[in-house]
Amino acid sequence: MDREISDRNILNKFTEDFCKIVNNFAKYIIVSGFVAISHGRSRGTEDIDIMIERLSFVKFGEMHNALVLAGFECLYPLKTKNIYENLTGKLNVRYSWKGIELPNMEVKFAKDSLDDEQLETRKKIEFTDVDVFFPKIEESIAFKEEFLGSNKDIEDAKHLRLIYLDRLDEDYIEKYKEKIRRIKFNETR
Amino acid sequence: MKRDNSHDEQIVRWATFVRENPKKWREQHTAFINSQIINANEKYDKLKKMPNGKKIIRELRKLRFFGIDETDRV
Repeated sequence: MDREISDRNILNKFTEDFCKIVNNFAKYIIVSGFVAISHGRSRGTEDIDIMIERLSFVKFGEMHNALVLAGFECLYPLKTKNIYENLTGKLNVRYSWKGIELPNMEVKFAKDSLDDEQLETRKKIEFTDVDVFFPKIEESIAFKEEFLGSNKDIEDAKHLRLIYLDRLDEDYIEKYKEKIRRIKFNETR
Repeated sequence: MKRDNSHDEQIVRWATFVRENPKKWREQHTAFINSQIINANEKYDKLKKMPNGKKIIRELRKLRFFGIDETDRV
C-alpha cells in the first residue's frame, strides 16, 4: 500500500481522516459494524458506515470537494450530481482513499426523525480510542438486535453487551426498540 | 443459519478478554484488522496490473457494493 499506516489500526485512521473533513460541513455519526469493531470485536469488514445530516446540493458539493482535496475519491457513483441524487434517493455512496480499494466509507443521509435524534445525541466514546462521533451504545445495540438482525449484527450486539456488562440501561434499550418499530417501519420522508 | 456453539463461545471469550485487558487487546486486534485490509489491497494491486484487471475490479466492486444479485450498476 502506498499510504503510510505504521502500527495504527487502518480502519481507525481512515475513519478519523474522513470524519475530520465531514465534521466541517455536517453533523455525522459512525454506525453499524464499526461500532462493534472499534470496541474490539474481531471480525473483518470492508466498509464503515457514516450517517450525515441532510445537506443542500451546494453544501454537499463543498464537502465532496474538500474530501477529494484531502485525498479521497468516490468509487460509486463518480459525478457529484449523481452522488447527491443517490443520497437524496436513499441510496448510499462509497468513498475510499484515492487509488486504494479498501476500506470504503459508505455514506448515507439521515432519513427520518430517529436518525435526526441520533445525530443530536451523538457522543465520542473514550474506550474506542477513535476520535469520532457514535450514537449512544444502547441505541447501537437496539438497532442491531431489532432492526438489522443478521447473524453478524446479533453477534456484534452480544460483543457490545459483554463489553458494557452491568453498565447498560436496559429500559432505554427496550424503549428504543419500540421507537425503531414505530418510526423505521412506518415513517418515510 | 445457526452457527455452532464454539463460534458463540469464542465471541464470549474474546469480548471478556477485551473487557478485562484494556491494555492488551488492542495490539492483537490491530494486527488482525490490518492484515486483512493489507492482504486484500495487495491482491487488488496485482489485479490492476493484469489484463482485464480494471474490468475485474469493477465486477468485484459491484459484488461488494450491491450483493450478488445486482448487475450493471458500476
